[in-house]
Amino acid sequence: MAVDKKFIGKKYPPVEYEVCREKIKEYATAVGDLNPLYMDEQKAKQGPYKGIVAPPLFVVVYAKDVLSQALFDHEMALNIAMLVHGEQEYEFVDVVRPGDVILTEGYIADIYEKSDKDFVVVGSTSKRKSDGKVLSRGKWTFVIRR
Amino acid sequence: MTLNPKTGETFTLQKEVDKYRPIFYAGASGDFNPIHIDAEFGKMVGLGGNILQGLCTMAFVMQTVSDWSGDPYRVKKLKVRFAKPVLPEDTVTVTGTVTEVQGRTARCTLVAKKQTGDEVINNAFAEVEVGR
Repeated sequence: MAVDKKFIGKKYPPVEYEVCREKIKEYATAVGDLNPLYMDEQKAKQGPYKGIVAPPLFVVVYAKDVLSQALFDHEMALNIAMLVHGEQEYEFVDVVRPGDVILTEGYIADIYEKSDKDFVVVGSTSKRKSDGKVLSRGKWTFVIRR
Repeated sequence: MTLNPKTGETFTLQKEVDKYRPIFYAGASGDFNPIHIDAEFGKMVGLGGNILQGLCTMAFVMQTVSDWSGDPYRVKKLKVRFAKPVLPEDTVTVTGTVTEVQGRTARCTLVAKKQTGDEVINNAFAEVEVGR
């Protein structure tokens, strides 16, 4: 059954995430990207950001709960077992550092059908709580096989 | 170090996906979808086993651009299409090509292939800040 297009534009309440150094290290280790900027305080201090930064793709961690809101939305009732990630787009606007508290708002950006599959696009905007500055934006496209 | 790439320049990175990579990535990212951590479940839904989280493969693509550019935050935009699943014990090779340099932005196309030659990520591009 096709996903109802009436959910396009639906917004979810913001989720809050506080970035910490140990989680950055865990993420960087899991993906095997051992850039000293993510895990070596001494080297990072001499680098362009004068300290540890999160990998730009750390957005997958701090924006994750927004996805759960959309994918497990009882009204939309997506068939999660048949769902795979189709496309992903990120815009990295500003540097994320340990101690940043990030608010991410999610919304349903698009719903469409193509070759007997359903496509659901979740949009996300992440801002630093302290100054409201945008850190990143995401477009997460999921494909649901029928 | 200033980044001043030329159109046509290419760069590459190879990543080995060990058997437990999807489990490590699940722990780090919170993506515990059973298709990633349960081989039986993956087979049942027609994926041939448990598959690596697409966003982990995207992280390989990100690292490829980031290592090449010398600073991860020079990467301003990254878009990928997940063409085929990556399975544990695959080897993924990412190749980037600079297609355009305009002002302070270099545009690169990217492709990730596994050892079979199958494209696992395609229609991918990055925008990278240059000249600083």
